[in-house]
Amino acid sequence: MGDQILNAMWTTMKNVFRPKTTEILPWKQTRKRRERYRSTFALVHNDLGEEACIGCKMCEKICPSDIITVVAGGRKESPVTGKKRGYADDFILDLNACIVCELCVQVCPEDAILHLTVPQGPGYTREDLVLTMDKLYDNEKRDAASWGTGTGLVAMQDPKRGLEPPKPKPEAKGDKS
Amino acid sequence: MAVTPSPTPEPATQRVGGLELPVELLRPAWGDPYLDLDDYDAESDVMALNLGPQHPSTHGVLRVKLFMDGEVCVRAVPYLGYLHRGVEKLCEKLSYANVTPIVDKNDYVSPMMNELAINMTFEKLMGCEPPPRAQVIRTIVAELQRVASHLLWVGTFCLDIGGAIGGGASAFMHTFRERELILEIFEELTGCRFHYNHHTVGGQRHDIPAGWDTLVKQTLDHIERRTFEYEDMLTENPVFKARTIGVGVVDPKLAMACGVSGPVLRASGGDHDLRRDAPYAAYDRVDVDVQVRTEGDIYARYLLRLAELRESIRIVRCLIDDIPEGPICALKAVKLPGAVKPKPGFAYTAIESPRGELGTFVVAGPGKRGKGGPNPYRCKIRPPSYHVLSLLPYIAPGENLSDIIAILGSLDPIMGEADR
Amino acid sequence: MSISPFLWSVIVGFVMLNVVMLGTAFLMLFERKFAGRMQNRPGPTEVGPNGLFQPIADLVKLLQKEDIVPDKADRGLFNLMPPLTVTFTLVMLAVVPFSENILVADLNVGVLFLLAIGSIQIVPVWVAGWASNNKYALLGAMRGMAQGISYEIPLVLCAAVPVIYAGTFNLTEIVEAQQGWGWFLWWPPGPGFFAFGLFMLCALAEANRIPFDIPEAEAELVAGVSTEYTGMKFGLFYLAEYLHTFISAAVASVLFLGGWEGPGPDGWWWMMAKTLGLFVAIYWARWTLMRYRSDQLLRYCWVYFLPLSLLLVAAAGTWTALVGLPS
Repeated sequence: MGDQILNAMWTTMKNVFRPKTTEILPWKQTRKRRERYRSTFALVHNDLGEEACIGCKMCEKICPSDIITVVAGGRKESPVTGKKRGYADDFILDLNACIVCELCVQVCPEDAILHLTVPQGPGYTREDLVLTMDKLYDNEKRDAASWGTGTGLVAMQDPKRGLEPPKPKPEAKGDKS
Repeated sequence: MAVTPSPTPEPATQRVGGLELPVELLRPAWGDPYLDLDDYDAESDVMALNLGPQHPSTHGVLRVKLFMDGEVCVRAVPYLGYLHRGVEKLCEKLSYANVTPIVDKNDYVSPMMNELAINMTFEKLMGCEPPPRAQVIRTIVAELQRVASHLLWVGTFCLDIGGAIGGGASAFMHTFRERELILEIFEELTGCRFHYNHHTVGGQRHDIPAGWDTLVKQTLDHIERRTFEYEDMLTENPVFKARTIGVGVVDPKLAMACGVSGPVLRASGGDHDLRRDAPYAAYDRVDVDVQVRTEGDIYARYLLRLAELRESIRIVRCLIDDIPEGPICALKAVKLPGAVKPKPGFAYTAIESPRGELGTFVVAGPGKRGKGGPNPYRCKIRPPSYHVLSLLPYIAPGENLSDIIAILGSLDPIMGEADR
Repeated sequence: MSISPFLWSVIVGFVMLNVVMLGTAFLMLFERKFAGRMQNRPGPTEVGPNGLFQPIADLVKLLQKEDIVPDKADRGLFNLMPPLTVTFTLVMLAVVPFSENILVADLNVGVLFLLAIGSIQIVPVWVAGWASNNKYALLGAMRGMAQGISYEIPLVLCAAVPVIYAGTFNLTEIVEAQQGWGWFLWWPPGPGFFAFGLFMLCALAEANRIPFDIPEAEAELVAGVSTEYTGMKFGLFYLAEYLHTFISAAVASVLFLGGWEGPGPDGWWWMMAKTLGLFVAIYWARWTLMRYRSDQLLRYCWVYFLPLSLLLVAAAGTWTALVGLPS
């Protein structure tokens, strides 16, 4: 009986000499989050430098927690391309109630809303965590976007992915030289 | 002269709710513990102690009203419902794609199981079959989740019998340290350490990144080595054995009558495991070695869960090397809430969660123009923890208060799924 | 210039009290850090450099908490018990010698005094459980009382072994009888070793330490006896338990480990080293082992410890009768 207790105590003592596995957040965070880690949100600009969000409201419809409110801004002419495109007048995301399900990222057709791998950071009031449009575009500057984008996720779930590519079409008749 | 009619022989079965049930099941040999609920004599020596919803035992919010004669329990009445969040009602409002992140939070300790159960039911309704790659990923992920859940159980059980300040806390920290590694595996795969929203109707949402299988194999090697340390600390520990051997014995007939499945049933001798008996996902490819013990006490459940942990590690190792190539989802990615519209009907699927048989019964309601609707009409979740808690009034009487805590811990109820 | 013994006692008492109280606070910190390392985590690190001012933070936190007395609790007893517990524990400190000169009272019945005060110490805990008007506290108090009075008997009998060897109840003389590497732990061979082990186990049981801490088992009894206590009163219970453990370790090192003597110059440093060594062993066991159930505890006491300690006393008595007292 005594030696089993000593065995148990030796197991605990062994752990004294192992390296620590906890960290003192948030001052020190040495462990980098994985590539796909999803935490807070950012609205991004597209390659042409203008806002990627077209105000289609698909993220608002899909959200299970109903935390996204998009105020569509109607179709306006884009200053960069000159073509008419949709804009979002206002975008409110209540991070207090977000369940981080990634569905809004998945449905976005323009890859406008992205997850970040860094947390939003604590706030003193609930309003601090209600992300308005400017806070979301500020988050873009943190440059910590997660891997998941709308097109990426949709492509990953494609039922035809990884299967044999379609056979090349036969030559059209009448094209014989 | 009056002739007393001979008494008619009792029928062997009785028709209840459309089923012919044997009479022994309806009138079991053990008494009804819920009779005389408030019939407690204030002058007697029986003390009513509330193992209240707020309690340091980490099982969530469960209230057990114990009637105690000194230290020994005379009657125990569990009260559920403190964590009722209306999940099933919420499922009626949400669409099929949105239900997964909500149902995730039922059995909040093993979210992959909840997602798997409900998405398998949705697929049955849609009539689509996930591709083989998705099936294998589902199995791997479910077994990894089982490892994590059993690790958590070992830790919290040691907290129950050892103390939050004391030996239990050491075992707790050690098992959680290992569980963190599994959560990192899931973070690499899905992006979230917990409550992943990884399954969808038709398959998975995330594919395996490069290097994931090496990570999994390394982690599992590490965890397997550490399980021997837990054995060192616990299995032969005389204090542990004194607390758990012979305590809380569950009769297999009682377990079956209460609808209990999983480790509690298997530790009492019931040889029933859905992975082997009704295989789903990729379980038909692997030989599940179902662990069964006959003693039925807490020690048997502990040994059984450790053995299951090792068995899960073995299953993952079998599968991780040949994952078939191909797509991971049979349906296109969800873009709109109404994307998934199964035909009206109903389906039930059951999977083997770490606590027992987790079943989902979904009724798909009619929508517009004769097609299915975008929301489920009714989602009923059959949680194993609910049935395991119904064992408590039968096995608690006659036990010490300390033993009741240990028994509650060993039954592994998760109030999130018991109350939904 | 010679100081009158009374004045010396007062000075030593004052210094010892302060040192022990402050030392206990920092020992608590050391325990938390050591426990943290056993669990692969740093322990308290926030307050002060590496967590050094954590006891002060804890003290301030406890002092500023709201003082709640339950409505139906027996108010006078409820408020009186925590300081009484600490008082009895500290009174035990009066006879423990840390060196030939550093002790408050050189009683001729030192061991008897210690054991007597140790047994009274259970009473305030028990009364506190009753006065709280709380079923959990009552259960904890009953368990604590049962455990306390049961484990006193083997404790007394094991403490009798060095008394029989040394032939005196005086703690200073017991240490002097162990001079020259004749610690009662291993000389005379046999009974001393087992008596030491049993004494430590019974002292753990008296102090409600794991594996015997069922009276304050958190998973079952919320906080046991101290469930209804808030703020500094709770702190005093906690402190009393800690002090009791510390004093048990000190008494064990006096009775069995030779007190203030060691290789090299004798002095209070050896006494502190031995006490702290035992203390580390005690809370190493605390952070590893689970707790026994109440009835198992009592069974071990009455079925195993009591006959064994009677045997040990008989063996010690035989030795002393045959060989005689140390010169």
